[in-house]
Amino acid sequence: MTAGHATPPAPDPTLRAEQERRLDKAWETPRGWRYWSAVNNTQVGLWYTGTAFIFFLFAGVLALLIRVQLAVPDNTLLSAQFYNQVFTLHGTVMMFLFAVPILEAVAILLMPAMYAARDLPFPRLSAFGFWSFFIGGVFVCGSIFFNAAPDTGWFMYPPLATDVKQSGIGADIWLLGLSFIEIASIAAAVELIVGVLKCRPPGMRINLMPLYGWYVLIVGGMILFAFPPLIAGDILFEAERLLNWPFFDAKRGGDPLLWQHLFWIFGHPEVYIIFLPSIALLAMIVPTFAQRPIVGYAWIVLAAVGTGFLSFGLWVHHMFATGLPSISLAFFSAASEAVAIPTAVQIFVFIATIMAGRLIFAVPMLFATGALAIFTFGGLTGVMVALAPFDWQAHDTYFIVAHLHYVLIGGMLFPLIAGVYYYFPVAADRMLSPRPGKIAFWLMFVGFNVAFLPMHFTGLRGMPRRVFTYPEGFGWEWLNLVSSVGAFVFAAGIAIIVIDVVRTALGAPMRERNPWNAGTLEWLLRRPQKPWQTRTVPPVSSRYPLWADPELARKTDEARYYLPDAEEGKRETLITTTLDGDPVQCLRLPGNSFKPMCAAIFIGGSFILTTFHFYRGSLVSGVIGVAIILWWLWTGTAIIPEKRTKDVGVGLKLPLYVSGSDSVGWWAMLITMLADMSAFFSLIFGYFFFWTIHEDFPPAGVDAPGVLWPGIAAILLIAAWAVMPLAKRLNARGSAAGLRAMLAVNALLSALGAAALLSAPYVTGLEPTQHAYPAIVWVLVLWAAAHAALGILMTLYCFARSFAGLLTREYDIDIHNVVLYWHFAAITAAVTVATIVLFPLASGG
Amino acid sequence: MLLGAGALWTWVLATTWYAARTSPERHNERFASSLILWAGAVFPTAVLSALLTYGLWLTADLRGPGDGLSIAVTGEQYWWRVQYRSDDGVPVESANEIRLPVGERVEFFLNAADVIHSFWIPSLGGKLDMIPGRSNRLVLHATRPGVYRGVCAEFCGRSHALMAFPVVAMERAEFDRWLEGQAAAAEASKERGAELFLAQGCGACHAVRGTEARGAIGPDLTHLGGRRTVGAGIFDNTKENVARFIRETETIKPGSRMPSYSMLSPQDAEAIAAYLGGLK
Amino acid sequence: MVFAFRREPDLWFLIGSPTVWALHFLACYVLAAVHCEKAGAGFVSIAPVRVWIVGLTAVALAFVFVSGLQAWRHWGFGANQPPHDADSPEDRRRFIGYAALLISALSFVAIAFTALPVLFITDCR
Repeated sequence: MTAGHATPPAPDPTLRAEQERRLDKAWETPRGWRYWSAVNNTQVGLWYTGTAFIFFLFAGVLALLIRVQLAVPDNTLLSAQFYNQVFTLHGTVMMFLFAVPILEAVAILLMPAMYAARDLPFPRLSAFGFWSFFIGGVFVCGSIFFNAAPDTGWFMYPPLATDVKQSGIGADIWLLGLSFIEIASIAAAVELIVGVLKCRPPGMRINLMPLYGWYVLIVGGMILFAFPPLIAGDILFEAERLLNWPFFDAKRGGDPLLWQHLFWIFGHPEVYIIFLPSIALLAMIVPTFAQRPIVGYAWIVLAAVGTGFLSFGLWVHHMFATGLPSISLAFFSAASEAVAIPTAVQIFVFIATIMAGRLIFAVPMLFATGALAIFTFGGLTGVMVALAPFDWQAHDTYFIVAHLHYVLIGGMLFPLIAGVYYYFPVAADRMLSPRPGKIAFWLMFVGFNVAFLPMHFTGLRGMPRRVFTYPEGFGWEWLNLVSSVGAFVFAAGIAIIVIDVVRTALGAPMRERNPWNAGTLEWLLRRPQKPWQTRTVPPVSSRYPLWADPELARKTDEARYYLPDAEEGKRETLITTTLDGDPVQCLRLPGNSFKPMCAAIFIGGSFILTTFHFYRGSLVSGVIGVAIILWWLWTGTAIIPEKRTKDVGVGLKLPLYVSGSDSVGWWAMLITMLADMSAFFSLIFGYFFFWTIHEDFPPAGVDAPGVLWPGIAAILLIAAWAVMPLAKRLNARGSAAGLRAMLAVNALLSALGAAALLSAPYVTGLEPTQHAYPAIVWVLVLWAAAHAALGILMTLYCFARSFAGLLTREYDIDIHNVVLYWHFAAITAAVTVATIVLFPLASGG
Repeated sequence: MLLGAGALWTWVLATTWYAARTSPERHNERFASSLILWAGAVFPTAVLSALLTYGLWLTADLRGPGDGLSIAVTGEQYWWRVQYRSDDGVPVESANEIRLPVGERVEFFLNAADVIHSFWIPSLGGKLDMIPGRSNRLVLHATRPGVYRGVCAEFCGRSHALMAFPVVAMERAEFDRWLEGQAAAAEASKERGAELFLAQGCGACHAVRGTEARGAIGPDLTHLGGRRTVGAGIFDNTKENVARFIRETETIKPGSRMPSYSMLSPQDAEAIAAYLGGLK
Repeated sequence: MVFAFRREPDLWFLIGSPTVWALHFLACYVLAAVHCEKAGAGFVSIAPVRVWIVGLTAVALAFVFVSGLQAWRHWGFGANQPPHDADSPEDRRRFIGYAALLISALSFVAIAFTALPVLFITDCR
């Protein structure tokens, strides 16, 4: 792929029509009740976006309830108990069910189009993610109608939230429902990272990627390191609630601060996980309305990468008032100031682009400018609260409420609405109307500022957050009343948008193809659009291919480029190299299926039944869920193609099956395991955290697990790992018998190893309910043993695949991926044993 | 700082407005790129460095040692246990009100009995969390005599909004006199309210030093009559309010550990209130 | 990998210097937090921690400086100005070099910020 692609000739019209018919058939969206078995990312992306938006409206109604209650002092409209449910659910739903998921949803919806790809590499994974999100979300939201919603704040601080009497079932619903959704988020991150890196059109080098892709890549990476600590925290939390393991109980050696650390290690990056993909939408919108390429492309990359990293050094600024030593606070204060630099760069990239271009003012641009104004203000108050002394005054007051809404609404909601107006033609073939858009903008902009600007002052006048009522006489009355009025004006703006969206989707005429005269590939889509996206996949040699070649749309339609056909009736997309976008594989994608949905239902059922303490049912549901996943993997992945290579057009022949680090599945495994590792290291962090707060750790009178059993476990598990590369090598030499023998050895060794590991704390009589030390040891041991068990499941899967003739010398995806898994399982086992055995020895315990 | 932020905000918006109005011929890409470098990167770095330096200097300063008086405050659902530490080692018990001498740096040692609370007197300085199992140290310095209000700033359960306290800053001599009075036991009383108080079992949770009421679960009531508010900063300290609080605790303060004594007749409740009000 | 003077940079080059920031940040925080927690907080001096942090900072800044140099070289020492949007391996290399240079500069500032507290704070209070 070098500059100046010679355009191949167009095939004749009859052939083209036939090709299109075959594409239609291969990519057909099912009708009737089978519609819900669709897995195509653009389809799933629509459901995902729509569902997240409905959760947004729901949480918005809760916000209005809050404002009604606070409109006047000493209001008794809502009871304290109900109000606490309302504000907890408002925060929870906005963050977990709207902000993060909708941005993943939008990315899933738009990424294939931006790359002119047929689809992303794991459509069924996206479908599974969506259904998990849907089930978990409905479960969490529905709880309020049974007066059973979580009511201890979206941050769930123990000991309040671990107290089963005070927090009731709501806390379990929060923990289990959201853990399930976090898994869906990680699934989407895997899909998006691999998609961004490997599904680009031929020739799209890394320096030509649309900026949106950069942001999605960074955000995907952030999710891998931000969400797992919360999942680890959820595990500890639920163990305390259900099993009485005292991780956060100060009386038994636990510490409530551990939860705060784990929660905010997730919580602060999360703000940027929300912010970056929204800014990414602006990075697509601004150049279009300035009608010129972005100025400072590399600066945006700087901003995204810089923010991505620095956002992990901010978490303690939510804990400035917890009494940590000043020196600890100071480091986080420093990082919190530093993160403002890439953010400022981001803003000025947009200003510079506008300056160097000729600005067209349309509704998306209106929202973009509004976003800039609001966000900049929120950023400036953010710089203030990043200083510990100021934060001690502002923390947990309405000043923070104002600050965070300026940041989130300016940094997330306004850009998102700009994106809705801008991308509605891509998503729904139609244009939203400019007049209602303008009215909605002004209502929202004015309403927002009227609602939230006064809150800065309410906060500085000493009004704390999360109060269901407040007394008269402190100068808070009229400020609150103004805020409440503003909230309703803001809501009116949202209502207009909702009406406009519904009306347009139902009845407006179809759009023109590229209504904003944009330069990027998503505007190649024809109208009405097809599930298979663009007619052919064009080669790319510019950041704005549609501006570089005005004829590109016609030539694409004439089927001159890649993948013009679906001869075999299979769904296919191109896989390219990371740096230069050289095509290396024609990837066969799985078709529509109910399996992801069923897997989500049963796995979700397992979580939901646990909430109600139906453990047996939960176990059964979980086993069925895992069985469905295995069935799905067996029938839908690593499928042996009918031929080795295929002509993908433009005279290019590509392999249909690749394995190892060339395959997308291997990358998905790697990325998933990175997330797994960060959850594991969060648990290890827990162990060392307890060590720092106790003078004696292990505490006096408690026997550490000793050396014998953990030592045996380590030897067995390391041996189990060591035979796996051997199994791979034997398979590569063509020895199926050797492969199977090694797999059997691995399964046996790891079963024994896991048993030895579990017996370690058992034989020394560690009682997890007594103290945080035995509890954290048990958690680590169980975690490592569960990984061994999962490893056995994978090994046996390979074993069966080998017998079924699906895992052979030439077709060996499965064994590569399982070996990769085992590397991580071995690290888990080794670090666990080192922590529970060597550390107490080394520190003289 | 607010003014600085306002100025910066105006400047960014003005630049945006100018950028939107100006035509591309006026400023080429080179100029726009240097705008990113200087306005987007270099300038913020300089401002932030200065701000951070100032913030760090202030952080170190604010947590200096105190001048001698130290008060232990424990957050409980939903009230404040207050203990003035004294030289003889026996602290002076009080609750739901704090008095301080002006012009001194007073040290607070903050704890929590059940869940996390946060101790905050907005007019005097920053807040600090009260966390079970941890003891936090806060230094406050009242410069002017007066009455301030403190609140719980960390969500602590159902009645989080109903957990406040008055703060009285007074001259040192006056403070010493007051503290001496607080250290003394209550005068013996024969009134009906006193008998009712004991008969109803109030003493199981509350202490009135010098009587048989020695409970340590709820607030110490030895000198309740001298406090400005009742119910942890939610009502003025009047007989009617105290009586109402006794009979309707669960309605007034949802989730509190004290049950409503609704079986008491209004007259009995008022008698108890009158007795408690007399404990100056 | 990151600091080897290789001709062709890949995506790992972009995250080299911020990774150094992350490790430095974590080391500073853990050193100080463990020191103060074990000392029982209060007015215990953090002198040894300060010495360590100064040393670590010097090392971290040196690393970032070298990787900045490396990035500058990949960029071509500024001989070509951005946007580096040509469809060629050279421009791809220049782009990664330029972006890595900017990221190194940011990491440098961020590491300096992290070290700033030890100038002002001398004990565990």
